[in-house]
Amino acid sequence: MKYFKPLLGLAALTGLFYSCNRSFLNSSPLGSLSTAQVANKQGVEGLLIGAYSLLDGQGAVQGGPASSESNWIYGSICGTEAYKGSVVGDIPEITEFETFQSTATNDFLEAKWQALYEGIQSANDVIRIMRLAKDMTLSDTVEARAEALFLRAFYHFEAKKMWNNIPYIDETITYASGNYHVPNDTAWNRIENDFIYAMNNLPATQPNVGRANKYAAEAFLAKVYMFERKFTVAKPLLEDLINNGVTAGGLHYALLVHFHDNFDPATKNGSESVFAAQMSVNDGSLGANGNPGDVNNFPMVGPVGCCSFFRPSQYLVNHFKTDPVTGLPDLDNFNDSDVKNDEGLTPDSPFVAYAGTLDPRLDWTVGRRGIPYLDWGIYTGSNWVRDQTDYGPYSAKKNAFYISEQQAYTDNSNWAPVSTATNFNLIRFADVLLLAAEAEIETGNLENARGYVNQVRQRAADPMGWVYQYNINPATGSQDPALGNSGVPAANYKIGSYTQTWTDPALARKAVRYERMLELGMEGHRFFDLVRWGIAQTEINNYLKQEQTLRNYLVGVTFMPCNEYFLIPQTEIDLSAGISGIPMMNQNCY
Amino acid sequence: MKDAGAYAIYGVRGANGVIVVTTRSGKTGKTKITYDSYYGTTRPLRKGLDLLNPQGQADLTWLADRNSGDVDPNTGNPVDPYYGNGSTPVLPDILVAGPYTGLSMSDSNANPAKYNINPANGSIYQIIASNKTGTDWFHDLFKPATSQNHTLTISGGSEKNKYLFSLGYLDQQGTLLNTYLKRYTARINTVFALDKTIRIGENLQLSFRDNPTITNQSPSNEIFTSVLAWPIMPVYDINGGWASLTVLNPISQSNPVAARVLAQNNTSNYWDILGNVFAEANVLRDVTFRTSFGGTFNDYYFYTYNFSDYGLSAAGIPNNSVSEASGYARSWTWTNSFTYSQTFRNIHKITVFAATEAISNFNRELDAARSGFFSTAPTFLLLSNGIAATQTNSDLEGASSLYSLIGKADYGFDERLFFSATLRKDGSSIFAPQKRYGWFPSFSAAWRLTEEKFLKDSKWLTDLKIRTSWGKTGFFGNTNPLNQFDLYGGSVSNSYYDINGTSNSPVQGFRNTRIGNPNTTWEQDIVTNIGLESIFFSGKLNLTIDWYKKLSSGLLFPVALPAILGAGTPPNTNVGNVENTGIDVLVGSKGSFSKDWNWNATLTFTSYNNKILHLTDLPYFDLQSNAGTFVRNEVGHPVGSFFGYKIIGFFANSNDVNKSPVQQDASPGRFKYLDANHDGVIDDNDRVFFGNPNPKFTVGINLGLAYKGFDFSTFLYGSFGNDVINVLREVTDFAPYPPGFPFNSAKSKIALYDSWTPQHQNAIAPIAENSFNFSNLGAVNSYPLENGSYLRNKSMILGYAFKNNWLSKYKIRRLRIYLQCVNLFTLTRYTGLDPELSGASSAWGIDFGNYPNNQKQYLVGINLGI
Repeated sequence: MKYFKPLLGLAALTGLFYSCNRSFLNSSPLGSLSTAQVANKQGVEGLLIGAYSLLDGQGAVQGGPASSESNWIYGSICGTEAYKGSVVGDIPEITEFETFQSTATNDFLEAKWQALYEGIQSANDVIRIMRLAKDMTLSDTVEARAEALFLRAFYHFEAKKMWNNIPYIDETITYASGNYHVPNDTAWNRIENDFIYAMNNLPATQPNVGRANKYAAEAFLAKVYMFERKFTVAKPLLEDLINNGVTAGGLHYALLVHFHDNFDPATKNGSESVFAAQMSVNDGSLGANGNPGDVNNFPMVGPVGCCSFFRPSQYLVNHFKTDPVTGLPDLDNFNDSDVKNDEGLTPDSPFVAYAGTLDPRLDWTVGRRGIPYLDWGIYTGSNWVRDQTDYGPYSAKKNAFYISEQQAYTDNSNWAPVSTATNFNLIRFADVLLLAAEAEIETGNLENARGYVNQVRQRAADPMGWVYQYNINPATGSQDPALGNSGVPAANYKIGSYTQTWTDPALARKAVRYERMLELGMEGHRFFDLVRWGIAQTEINNYLKQEQTLRNYLVGVTFMPCNEYFLIPQTEIDLSAGISGIPMMNQNCY
Repeated sequence: MKDAGAYAIYGVRGANGVIVVTTRSGKTGKTKITYDSYYGTTRPLRKGLDLLNPQGQADLTWLADRNSGDVDPNTGNPVDPYYGNGSTPVLPDILVAGPYTGLSMSDSNANPAKYNINPANGSIYQIIASNKTGTDWFHDLFKPATSQNHTLTISGGSEKNKYLFSLGYLDQQGTLLNTYLKRYTARINTVFALDKTIRIGENLQLSFRDNPTITNQSPSNEIFTSVLAWPIMPVYDINGGWASLTVLNPISQSNPVAARVLAQNNTSNYWDILGNVFAEANVLRDVTFRTSFGGTFNDYYFYTYNFSDYGLSAAGIPNNSVSEASGYARSWTWTNSFTYSQTFRNIHKITVFAATEAISNFNRELDAARSGFFSTAPTFLLLSNGIAATQTNSDLEGASSLYSLIGKADYGFDERLFFSATLRKDGSSIFAPQKRYGWFPSFSAAWRLTEEKFLKDSKWLTDLKIRTSWGKTGFFGNTNPLNQFDLYGGSVSNSYYDINGTSNSPVQGFRNTRIGNPNTTWEQDIVTNIGLESIFFSGKLNLTIDWYKKLSSGLLFPVALPAILGAGTPPNTNVGNVENTGIDVLVGSKGSFSKDWNWNATLTFTSYNNKILHLTDLPYFDLQSNAGTFVRNEVGHPVGSFFGYKIIGFFANSNDVNKSPVQQDASPGRFKYLDANHDGVIDDNDRVFFGNPNPKFTVGINLGLAYKGFDFSTFLYGSFGNDVINVLREVTDFAPYPPGFPFNSAKSKIALYDSWTPQHQNAIAPIAENSFNFSNLGAVNSYPLENGSYLRNKSMILGYAFKNNWLSKYKIRRLRIYLQCVNLFTLTRYTGLDPELSGASSAWGIDFGNYPNNQKQYLVGINLGI
C-alpha cells in the first residue's frame, strides 16, 4: 500500500502530460494520397490517366446510359436515328428526351453534367499538381499540360454540344479559392485555345496508342470550327489531317477496308481511329470499363440477350435505299416508302425480304429480319426485340460483338457478358473526310467535296466488307452460322459513287449531310449535326410527322427551336447562385 | 438533458444530448440473484399497402394506354405483350421469362417441356403460372416472429468489496424473413477498497451479436421491393423454382422472397468488448484523485453468399459469389482527475474538479469477394475456392484522437443557492492544426426558493427551484478525420484507363477523391436555459418547465458543391447558424383512491421552433436523398423543409390550360402548380416551401395504476404537425415508371380508382397515362406530402407481484409476472406503413422503405429475485 499513492501520482502526471505532446492530435490521411504524394512526375501521370478514364463517361458517379460517351440517347435517339426501345415506361428519363419534353430535374442531365465536369476537373488537377512537382522537366510539363488541355477541351466541347451555354472551368477554379460560382456563356474561344495548345505541343506519335496526339487535337479543333461554321479556318486543318495525319500509334490515317472493323474489339486502334475511348474488360472492374453506358443496348437474342434499348428507326433504315442503277440514295424521296420489315409477324411466319437495292452499311448498322447478326445467327424478328409494337422490329448492331470474341473481349464477371472491349470512336477518319467535304462545299470547292464523299462510299462499296449469308447446313437445309460465310450477299447491295460533277451547293450539302447518316448512323452524332446545320427543327419535325404513323407514342410530339439544346440540370442551377454570382438560367420552352 | 451546465462536462460528446449510462454495481449486503425474462411474438402489419389485384393492374394499363392514345389505330385497343389486344385486358395464364411474354394455357408455347432455366442448355425459358388472384408479397416476406430475453444477475458486496455479474441472452426474430438479432452478453463489475482511502475497480462487458439485417430506407430493401413485385407474379415457377421477375421487366430486381430466403446463410457477427479499470485515492483529506483507463474493442465479420439463381437475376443469371468483410474498431479513453470537496461552516459547499482526458480511435476493415464456385455446398464456400480471376479485395482505415482539459467549480450555499462554472479546452485531430482547439465555458445557477424563510413553511409548496444556465459546447458531428485534406486515389472502375489499348490491362490512374477544408472547425452550440422545478402537496403534483434557446453556430454539414468542382467528396464545413427555441413541460401527479388503489400520471410536452439564421455561402443548401431533392435548407426556414412545386389542383380541361399560367406539359388531368411569383409562367422560381418535417409538438403520456399486487401501466407517445414525404406513393400512384427506378411496380388502388378523369375531376392522383413529364412525376412536387401526425400506444403492461409473506416461505425475495403489449394502436391519417420514421437525418421526414416500427408485440415476462 505504501507505494500505491506515489504510483498513482506518477500515473496522474503521465496522464496529464502524455497528450500534451502535439503528435497525439496530428493526423495523416490514411488510405489516400495527399497532394504532396502525387506532386511528382509519376503522380501527375497517374492523374492524367485518371483524366483519360472519364472518356467512357463514367467516373466517381457511374451514370451508365445517362452519361455514356456514345451519346446514344442525346445524339442518336434525339437525332432521328433510333427509338428508346425496351418497353414503354422503362427508363422514362429517355422518353422525356425522345419526346422533347425533358425537365431540368431529369437525373440523366445531372449525370451527364457530372461526368463531363469531373473529366474537366481531373484534367485541371493534372495542371495544378504538375506545378507543384519538382522532378518534371520543362518538356514533361508541356506534354502533360498539352494532354490535359486536350482532355479539358474535349469534355467542354461535349458539354457545349449538349447545353451550348456552359460554364468554362479552368485550373484556377477550385473549392479552396472560393471562386466557383461561375456564370455560363456560349463562347467557343477557350475551347479552341485549349485544342490549339494541344495541337501545337503534342507529338505526332505517342508511346501509348490511347493517348491524344497532335492530330487528334487538330481533328477536334477542326470539328469545333465546323460547329462554329468557321469553314475557311477548318479547311486547312482537315486537309493537313487527310494528307499528313497519323494515329498515336503511327499509322497513317486511312479508311479501314472492312467498314465493320471500326466496331470490332479485335481491330481497335487501326488507321481510321483518330481518337477513341479505350475500353477494357476482365480487368477487375466488373465491367465498369467496357462500354458501361451501353450495356442495355443488345437484342434479346444474340450477344448478352438484353435489354433491347436503342432501336433503329424506320427513318434511319429508309436512308439506306439506293438506286438500282447508280447505287446512289434518293436524297429527297427516300422516306416515301419503307424498306419492308417484319413488324407484326412472329418468327415462324413467312417473311419475304425487301428486294430493292440497299447500301451495304445498313446491315452493319441495323439488325433486321433475315440477315445474319454477326455470327449469332439469322435475325428472326420479334423474338430478338422487346415490345415490337411500340419500338419496332430493329436492333442496334454497331455495338455488338462476335460469339468468337466472347470471353476475350467481353466481361463475364457481372450478371451477363454485358461489357465489351470494343473501343468507342469519338472521331474516326471517315468523320474527318466528311467534315472536309462540308468545309469544301462551304468554301466553294464542290468537286473536292465530291471526292471526299466518294472516298467514303468506295470503301463501303468494296464487297470485302459486306454482310454475307451463312453457309447452308445440309442436315437442316438452312443457314448455319457455325459453317461460316457463303459468299452470297445477305441482301441486294448496290452502292455507287457520285459520278456527276457537283455544281449546286445546296445539292452537294444535302448529299454530304445524308452521307454522314449512312456512315456514322447510330454513333451519337446526328442530333448535334442537325443543330449545327440549323436544320434540326425541319428535319426532326419531318421525321416525327412520318414516324407518328408507326409509333403511337410519338403522336403529338413536336420539336421546337428551344429543344436544340438540353436543359442545364436544376441542381446545378440551384448551386450556381453565389452571393455575388449570377445564377445560370434555362430558357423556357413552352 | 437540456441544461447547459449539466452537459458541459460531457463536452463534445454531449452536444447531441447525453444519455448517461450508469454502470450498475453491486451493493453492500447479502448476495442478490435476479432473473428477468420475457417471451413473446411480434406480428407483421395486418395490412400492407393498398395495392391493385392483377386484374386491376391490367385495367390500369389499359386506362393509361387509352389516356395516352397508345392504341392500335385500327382497333382502337391497346396492345400489350401480356394482356393481349382486346377492348379489355385479358390476364395471361402463363408468363414466360426469357421471351418476356404472357400466354394462354392452350398456347403450344406454354408446353412445360420447353422449360429451361439453365443457360448451358439453351435460351432461358422459365414458365410461370400467373397468379390471377394476386400474390401478397408483403405477407410472403413478413411473418410472425418470436422474441425472448433472459438476464441473470448476481450482485453483492461488503463494506470493502462489491461485485456484480450478469449474463444475458436476447433472441429477437425480425418479422422480415431471415432478419434477427441474437445477443449474448456478460458483465463483470467489481470495486475493491484497498484501504480507507484507495479504491480500485473494473467494469467489463463482453457481447456477441449475430445480427443479419437489411438496409433501412433504401430502394434495395424488401420493404421497397415487395412493392416493386407485380401481384400477378407468383413466388415460384411451375417447377418450384424461384419465379423471375424479369418476366415483366428484364432489368428488374430479384424476386424479393427468393432474395430473403437465399440470404439464410449470410452472417453479420459482432464481438464487442467494453470496459475500464480505475483507481481512486483520497490523496489528501479533501482531494480525490481518480485515473481511469477504458475503451471499447469492436470486431465484426460479414459473410454473404449470392446464389446463382434465375429468381435473383437481373437479365442473365448472375454468377454465384461469396463476399466477406472483417474489421475492427478500437477506442481508448484515459481520464485523470482531481476532485476537491469541502464544506465550510456547514453552509458553504465547494467542489473543484480538474481533469485531462485523451481519446484515441482507430478502425480497419478488409473486404474480399470471389465468384464462380464449383459447388454451392455451404461447406465449400470459402473464398479460396472461387475462381481466382474474379477476386476483388479492398480495405479501409480510419483514425482520430481527441484531447481535453476540463475544469469545473461548484459552489452551494446552504442548500439555497447553487453556482457552477465549467471550462473545457478540446482539441481534435479532425480539424487542421490552426483550427484544432476550442474553448467551451458554461455557467449555471439555481435558487431553491423553498429553503428561504418566506416559503419554508408553505403547506402546498413542497419544493420550488428555479435555475438558469448558459453554456457553449463544441461539436464535430460526423466530420470525417480526412476532412482537412485534398486527397487522391481511385479504383480500377473509376480512374484506371486502358491507355495501351490492351483490352484487359488498364493502367492505374488517380482522381481527386476528397476536397479538403482546412478551415473547418468546431461547431459551437450555445445553449441558454431557464427552468423551474416544483413539487406540490408533498409530491402529489410536480411540475417542471424548461425554456431553452440553442444557437448552433458554425453548423457542420457536408454541403453540396456544384459539379463543376469535380467529383471529390465535399468536406464538412461550418455552413451557418441555426437557432432552436423550445419549451419542455413535465407534469406529474400521483395519488390513491384507497389504501389499495394507487395511481400515477405523467405528461410530457415538447415543442420547439427551428430556424436557419445564417448561411455562409449560398442562401440555401439542398439535400439530395434517394428520393430526389425534396429538402431545401434556407435562411429563415426550418431545417429540413420540403421544397418544390406546390400542386394547387388539376387542369380541368384545355380551356383551363389556356387560361392558367404557362406550364410545361400542361394538359387536362395533370397537376397545376402554384405560380408563386405571379409572372404567368411556371418555372424554377415558382418552387416554394410546402412542408416541414419538424413536429409542432410532441406529447408523452404515462399512466399507472396499482391495486394490491397488480400493476398496470401504459405509455402513449404522439407527434403532431409534422409532414412526411411518402416516396412509395410516387411509385404506386402513377402509371409510368417512377423516376430514378428502372423498374415498374405494383400500383395502388388510387392509381386506378381515384385518378383524374373528365368525369372524376375531384381525384387524388393525376390522369393515368404513360408519359412521365414535368406536370406529373417529372418535377419535385408536393404530391407525396402527407401529414405525419400520430398518437401511438407504445406500451401497455399488466403485472402481478406475488405477496412477500407468501414468497418468503420459499426464500424468494421478489416474484412478478407480467403481460405486455407493444404498439397496441396508432391513430394516424398517414397512408404509409408507419409514420414514425427512422433513418438518416439528411432524409428526415422522408419515408423511403422504412422498416415499420409499429408492429404489434405481445410478451409475457417474469422478474424473479432471490
